[in-house]
Amino acid sequence: MLRFVLRRLAAGVVLVVVIAVATFFLLHAAGGDIGRRILGQTASAETVQFKNQQLGLDQPLLSQFGHWLSGAVRGDLGTSWFSGQPVVDAITSRTAVTLSLVIGATLVTAVIAVLLGVLAAQRGGWVDRVVQLASVLGTAVPGFLVAIGLVLVFAIDLGWFEPTGYTSLSDSAGGWLAAITLPVLALSIGSIASVTQQVRGAMLDALRQDWVRTLRSRGLPESRVVYEHVLRNAAGPALSVLAVQFIALIGGAIFVETIFAIPGLGQVAVGATSQGDIPLVLGLVIAVSLLVVVVNLVVDLLQGWLNPKVRRA
Amino acid sequence: MFTRKRSGIAAMAVALSLALTACGGGSSDSSSSGGNLRLGAIVPPTSLSAANAFWANESIYTQAVYDSLLRETPDAQVQPWLATSWSYDDSKTVLTMKLRDDVVFTDGTKFDASVAAQNVLRFKAGTSSSAANLANVSDAVATDPTTLTITLSQPDPAMLLYLAQAAGAQGSPKAFGAPDEQTNPVGSGPYVLDQDKTVVGSTYVYTKNPDYWAPEEQHFDTLTVNVYATIQTEVNALQGGQIDGANLLDNTANDQVEAAGFTLVPHELDWAGLVLFDRSGQLAPQLADVRVRQAIAHAIDREAILEAANDGAGTVTGQVFGPGTPAFDESLDDTYDYDPPAARKLLADAGLAGGFSVSMPQIQIGSTTVYDLVAQYLSDVGITVDYTPVPLNSAIGDILAAKYPAAFFILQQDPTAWQTANFSITQGATWNVFHQADPTVQGLVSTIQSGSEADADAAAKKLNEYVVQQAWFVPFYRNEGNFAASKDIEVVQQADNAYPLLQNITPAS
Repeated sequence: MLRFVLRRLAAGVVLVVVIAVATFFLLHAAGGDIGRRILGQTASAETVQFKNQQLGLDQPLLSQFGHWLSGAVRGDLGTSWFSGQPVVDAITSRTAVTLSLVIGATLVTAVIAVLLGVLAAQRGGWVDRVVQLASVLGTAVPGFLVAIGLVLVFAIDLGWFEPTGYTSLSDSAGGWLAAITLPVLALSIGSIASVTQQVRGAMLDALRQDWVRTLRSRGLPESRVVYEHVLRNAAGPALSVLAVQFIALIGGAIFVETIFAIPGLGQVAVGATSQGDIPLVLGLVIAVSLLVVVVNLVVDLLQGWLNPKVRRA
Repeated sequence: MFTRKRSGIAAMAVALSLALTACGGGSSDSSSSGGNLRLGAIVPPTSLSAANAFWANESIYTQAVYDSLLRETPDAQVQPWLATSWSYDDSKTVLTMKLRDDVVFTDGTKFDASVAAQNVLRFKAGTSSSAANLANVSDAVATDPTTLTITLSQPDPAMLLYLAQAAGAQGSPKAFGAPDEQTNPVGSGPYVLDQDKTVVGSTYVYTKNPDYWAPEEQHFDTLTVNVYATIQTEVNALQGGQIDGANLLDNTANDQVEAAGFTLVPHELDWAGLVLFDRSGQLAPQLADVRVRQAIAHAIDREAILEAANDGAGTVTGQVFGPGTPAFDESLDDTYDYDPPAARKLLADAGLAGGFSVSMPQIQIGSTTVYDLVAQYLSDVGITVDYTPVPLNSAIGDILAAKYPAAFFILQQDPTAWQTANFSITQGATWNVFHQADPTVQGLVSTIQSGSEADADAAAKKLNEYVVQQAWFVPFYRNEGNFAASKDIEVVQQADNAYPLLQNITPAS
């Protein structure tokens, strides 16, 4: 098990390095005068040139990358070109915000999708058809439209929630819950639809197995057959989809944070990418890559716990 | 039973959520009268240090923390502030300012002329977009603790105005060079940045400076500035009552904002139109002929473009100088009326009856209406526009690198003729992209710079007339911007700034 974990971590490190190198050179290839972008149309050419020198942009590209890399391996990801804030601070101050949304959406997805998937598989008939129709709709409707609709109805018209902004959990539990409710709902719709279909399919597969018939013939109550045995067998594929959804939700946080003006990683990613704030974009890419590596590792470990055959494989 | 349990859990979750919403910060402070002023901005601050302070849309962040040496009235007249009086010598190159002696920075350091001199020199050497405003400052010294002497390399008619803006911002010397200088401002201004509640790039929270030397100017206990990247988010925040006022990103949601009970306070700071950079025909030889440039001006239907491309939000104009400057002459707006036959005749006189092609950048900003219209109008008189798509990020850099002979752009209108001249007309001006010299311009600008007030004003008028006659610019309209103000606040727009100055945002009486 330890060797497995170490192997996955080593692969993760290589992945992060490759992504960082690719990101650095792609962003530089996009070109443009960074100093001018920062200072705008009124700055003199001399001030722009000085700014570029200050940022080290007059150095050869390889030298710039070497400088960045030497700092990165020591945990110094540099400073945002546009705000002057250390990149590490910019990321750490926003990670909890994005994780609030993504973990919240994952939990909501897990609970609702399992309930709907089990219900559809177990009951069949019109219940199954309604769940399937809802899943198709949930997949088809763009998340940003859901978000805008939620804001208009529940924040603007009804005034139940704030339309924009974020309150941290440490400041106010109620404020935090109110701030993340609509974004989490908007973020969850698509993933609930996907995971519900997966749970339903896996449940139907498991329910057709011979051992289920054996369990029933031994007189086990249906609830024990379904929730103790069938669901556990169906959990593996569902977990894989949920893990993929978790990673997709990090991407989805970009539009949710933009629409709700939530100060998370997605919001800063949009700004930094459009501005060409290379140190900040690099930091974000590394942070998200690490998150993906860790999530995948945790899912692999959970799969092994759920299904001993996976451990042996 | 199972169904009832699940329904109960769902109901409890909704109830809990709503209950917590109601009791725990789900809504912001509703009162802004003397309480919390909550504003929306469209950009975060680039730097919070005094040496690199920005103005324009970032002025609110600078003003909250820093006092300036001087202050502006809404119509851009200079008033005393940290400097109580000032005078120039006869050569207009030595500026002597008498400073207050009762000002203390929020870290306890006393403000004096030595600190002021350091701030001026640091700003000149810094990387603010306005650093070049102090290009003519050759030295700044403290003659005594309350007397600051600034020496200029040449007269600068806008220097006092600059010292009322970012260039005059006074930071504590203890913060000079600090590792967190860019994000942790220390000034003597009306508010102090609350680092704990601030999320860099998104929300900036300020609390009242308890020892401020001018407490009558602190209209609110706290100030919160939220940054909104899109107009819809901004409007949502306004409609949801989360902010008391905001500088609107554009005019597309004006009706929604007014319907939500906000008052729109308009201003016109920029002009939009064509800039014919290549005055001497380096890239497009045809543009060297004044008749060709005038033909382009005649070919454009400004009224139609204002309506189609800007929903009528603005005023048609034909000059780059704003109404607040002595250079402005309303009659010049009609110099080039929409007259395609006149345009064709001018082109024929210039030997271009068969037309010609000109390349321009098409900046990728979403709507292409204005570009399409320009191409159509010019095509009607025989001029073909070859657009090159340019990403927004590299647009300014590409244009200033003299890659295009002409471009549609939106440029600022400064409050003084001197500033406008040095921004886009003189040989050294940033937006005289090919840096072409013109003896007439040089002579008139020299009078604006060093002449008596009457002579300078007359020269400014002549300069405007000359620039319009030369048709180096084809302005379409002055662009209207709006600040949305709730019933709780009163806002007076600033004649020369994108964001209302902090002292002009007050509780409703």
